[in-house]
Amino acid sequence: MPTQERATLFAAFGLLLEVDPRIDVAGLARPRAGAPDEGAAATPTRVSLDPAELERRWAPVGTTARRMRELRQGDRVALSVDLAESAGYLLQAVGVGRVLISPDGTELLCDPLPESPEWTFILPAQALPLAATLRGLEVFHAAAVVLGPGAVLIAGDPGAGKSSLAAALVRNGAPFLGDDAIALEPGEGGLVAHPSVAALYLRSAEHDRLSSAEREALGSPELSVGKRRYGPETAADAVPFGALFLLERGDRGAPIERIEEVDPFALLAATFNLSVRTPERLTRQLDVIEDLVRTGRVYRLRVLPGLDATRLAEAVERCLAAVAR
Amino acid sequence: MASPSDQELLASQARLPQHVVHRGFVAETVVLNLRTGKYHGLNSTAGKMLDALEEAPTVGDAVPGLAEEFEVERPQVEGDLIVLCRGLLERGLIEVSSAPPA
Repeated sequence: MPTQERATLFAAFGLLLEVDPRIDVAGLARPRAGAPDEGAAATPTRVSLDPAELERRWAPVGTTARRMRELRQGDRVALSVDLAESAGYLLQAVGVGRVLISPDGTELLCDPLPESPEWTFILPAQALPLAATLRGLEVFHAAAVVLGPGAVLIAGDPGAGKSSLAAALVRNGAPFLGDDAIALEPGEGGLVAHPSVAALYLRSAEHDRLSSAEREALGSPELSVGKRRYGPETAADAVPFGALFLLERGDRGAPIERIEEVDPFALLAATFNLSVRTPERLTRQLDVIEDLVRTGRVYRLRVLPGLDATRLAEAVERCLAAVAR
Repeated sequence: MASPSDQELLASQARLPQHVVHRGFVAETVVLNLRTGKYHGLNSTAGKMLDALEEAPTVGDAVPGLAEEFEVERPQVEGDLIVLCRGLLERGLIEVSSAPPA
């Protein structure tokens, strides 16, 4: 009789994850000893490779599901999320596979396509942030590192340079928190940011611009989903919120300025998950935005001509050092 | 109350229904309709009007305080308040009812 391998425990996005041993997610970290025993981290989220169970749950209700989100590439749908109240959220990525996330975010059933060996990237990229949202965290579309005592989040449009700036800060010694999605959780002492996975993706053009010393500081990359994936040293614990930088292209002005009148809609647009529209989540989303604004540490970071990621990182470090004084 | 007249509106009590939450920011108030999942933005003047509407026994009772705060004539505030209330009603962001007897 074959013995079934036991699932392994990991931690990411503020969740304790019980992952099927056949699923290998790059950069997932083990939970630290003495991990919290309450909140979202107390009950593990199970991640299983189980196409048959996914089909059993989804087939009877799939025709009545509501489309909550759709990402298109040209004329075709590249990624979609459908909701059937009883079964949960079905995430479908063309050429990758499907993941069914239970309504409470405690279970993920995976059905990858056989021709997609790198399918597991969809878990930290989309499925786990969705599960974290369902479990009471608010996920932002941002890269993040730890500078001084706090988490520094870098948000901005796709291609704005979030990952490049995070990489430059990591090269300068900042522990890494996450590349594309960061879970924030309100707590008694304020917002905290949870590490996601130790995977930092750089486009080939950005990778090619790095000197050999800069590449060395990031470790050895692997080619993954058309980018270079680095596995930088990642913070082991949740970190108090430090600052949020909103990256934007500019051609004049100071590279960094504190935003006195933060546009709440700009922050809402930086939240990660648009598929979960429950009253509880929508209210929490607004509350977290309010908490962020109240910190008074939301900055505009202009990517000016001639200012590369290394110099932007120095500007960020100087700004935060000045705030700390 | 279906499409009240201006006078009926001024004599009514305006309240946010349970499915509407709002948060005030420096230059803007965000109003969230939990039924539709839609966020709405009010500028700071409209945000202050919404706060006043929530406190006042009737829409008309909110006028004097707002006129004083904004240093404008009462008829102008009254007109602006009616326009705001109609916009909020249309989007399901407030409910109006007959004011309870004093």
